[in-house]
Amino acid sequence: MTDVVRTGFRPSRVAIYGLLLLAALVYLIPLFIMLVTSFKTPMDIRTGNLMALPTDWTTIGWTKAWSEACTGVQCEGISGYFWNSFKMTVPAVLISTLLGAFNGYVLSKWKFKGSDLFFGMLLFGCFVPFQVVLLPMAATLGQLGLANTTSGLVLVHVIYGVAFTTLFFRNYYVAIPDALIKAARLDGAGFFTIFFRILLPMSTPIFMVSLIWQFTQIWNDFLFGVVFASGDSQPITVALNNLVNTSTGVKEYNVDMAAAMIAALPTLVVYIVAGKYFIRGLTAGSVKG
Amino acid sequence: MSQLELRSIRKTYPGVAEETLKGIDIDIASGEFLILVGPSGCGKSTLMNTIAGLETITDGSIVLDGKDISTMEPKDRDIAMVFQSYALYPTMSVRENIAFGLKIRGLPKHEIDQEVERVADLLQISQLLNKKPANLSGGQQQRVAMGRALARRPRIYLFDEPLSNLDAKLRVEMRTEIKKLHQRLKTTIVYVTHDQIEAMTLADRIAVLKDGELQQLGTPKEVYDRPENLFVAGFMGSPAMSFVPVTVEQREGGLQAEVRGNDGRAVKLPVPEFLADRVGKKVILGIRPEHITQPQDQKNDQTLVAKGEFTIEVTEPTGPDVIALIQLNDTNVHCRIDPEHPVTWGETAELMFDMKKVVFFDPETEKRIAPH
Repeated sequence: MTDVVRTGFRPSRVAIYGLLLLAALVYLIPLFIMLVTSFKTPMDIRTGNLMALPTDWTTIGWTKAWSEACTGVQCEGISGYFWNSFKMTVPAVLISTLLGAFNGYVLSKWKFKGSDLFFGMLLFGCFVPFQVVLLPMAATLGQLGLANTTSGLVLVHVIYGVAFTTLFFRNYYVAIPDALIKAARLDGAGFFTIFFRILLPMSTPIFMVSLIWQFTQIWNDFLFGVVFASGDSQPITVALNNLVNTSTGVKEYNVDMAAAMIAALPTLVVYIVAGKYFIRGLTAGSVKG
Repeated sequence: MSQLELRSIRKTYPGVAEETLKGIDIDIASGEFLILVGPSGCGKSTLMNTIAGLETITDGSIVLDGKDISTMEPKDRDIAMVFQSYALYPTMSVRENIAFGLKIRGLPKHEIDQEVERVADLLQISQLLNKKPANLSGGQQQRVAMGRALARRPRIYLFDEPLSNLDAKLRVEMRTEIKKLHQRLKTTIVYVTHDQIEAMTLADRIAVLKDGELQQLGTPKEVYDRPENLFVAGFMGSPAMSFVPVTVEQREGGLQAEVRGNDGRAVKLPVPEFLADRVGKKVILGIRPEHITQPQDQKNDQTLVAKGEFTIEVTEPTGPDVIALIQLNDTNVHCRIDPEHPVTWGETAELMFDMKKVVFFDPETEKRIAPH
């Protein structure tokens, strides 16, 4: 720790903090508008200022979005799709993260002939655009009997996620000394014991990174959701789109905004809960502890 | 307590042209403390890893108590290892670290607890049992690493440069501790180091390796006093042995070899009779610092002792001695002088050569010329 010498008031400091404050405001304005609009009445929205606070606060937008709003022909709100998204995201995140951890373990600690080449090729998976795989994936899911199901979506997201999660874990495990594995082998631990008893307990930071990354990716995905799911199994991103685009009568901005907030909330919560690990995990290994 | 035989161990890494181990033969007696020593890249760590089973051997066999274990998995060999980096499991407490191997082997809980207590007492780490490795000092981590090895009561202990991450003072302390531990437990230990002082002080026998070949296997005294070749002679001892090219001459009164200081003054050194068949030939005189001292009166009448005056080029006081540098036949030579007999650099001093323990090497083969 170095002691910072305080020099008191300085114009350059003021300028820097002023700019930072301004930038923060610019980023917060859309969120602010969404939030206040979601609590306004339709009347208020039409007559009032975009930036103004609601004249009378109401949660009608939120309840309507949750359980009454029309997404296409049905008018049951987005609650069902919200749970669809959970049913898709939670298994997909956990499975892809565990697979990535396992891949990373093998690719860093049990190298086989050509394992580096294998890893290099796996990394291509990070760069394949979603659109490229739509048709072949649709055919595959059809043949597996998983078309238009949540399980099918889980499978797609796991396959797409494994490239990233493997990259995370492999690079994390590479920094862990091999002597640890050797010591465990001499202690009598086998392949799986070493993974579950030695390496996994050390993986919390990178586990959180993988969790946040995968949760955000999968929860926010629209393309796979709209292509590979239909009707009751659609995720919330698709439902949100349908809700906003369903035009019967007057546009209810408060409902749209509330629905969008609901759709965005889980990723926000995940980041707030696990965020400190995210920063730590990204820099883990850069400094030897 | 177990006996280990290494029979012509060969190891070639895939894609590497040169063999890493070129047929190593060592028999390690039960309860013996064997040290593998050599410069980095000599294959000593590879040899140790093959004993542990962490690396396979290309040819030869490893026999433990009469049983060939060459192809066994590490966990089936009943061998424990202490690593240079300690390799403690960071998420486990000291207690769990020590108990891990016992748990895996399915020992009942009360036996594990008993064993952990025993080891903790032995190494005086009882008060650390509930701490995590990250909260321990280097010396404490070192003890825990040894505790983990001791807990299983394996047949052989392997130490892979266990002291090289400690600071100088702690290293000397732990060295003594390891020696005490070995004397008490009478375990068979194979210990790798590149530090020749560690090798000299700890070993029952030393195996000196270079380029995957065994150069010499013997007690510390054998290796120090009668090194097989120039490499071993130069590697063991600090400051190192000096090598002076000399020609053997026949004079009245015996064989002699002439050395010339940098001021041109020559001194005839008496050399032993076994060099008789080398008269007129060049040999390399291997002389250790302690063989050249200030004049000592009690040695005046002894055979194979000579005196001469030389210019001191550098003096390095170490406390108990002063290491002085002189030139003999254009080679730097270290002398060990009693600090009570001050010598000054740049001035001449009378020095005494005790030729009884010097060694001679053949300049062609670099092997020691043995007395017949």
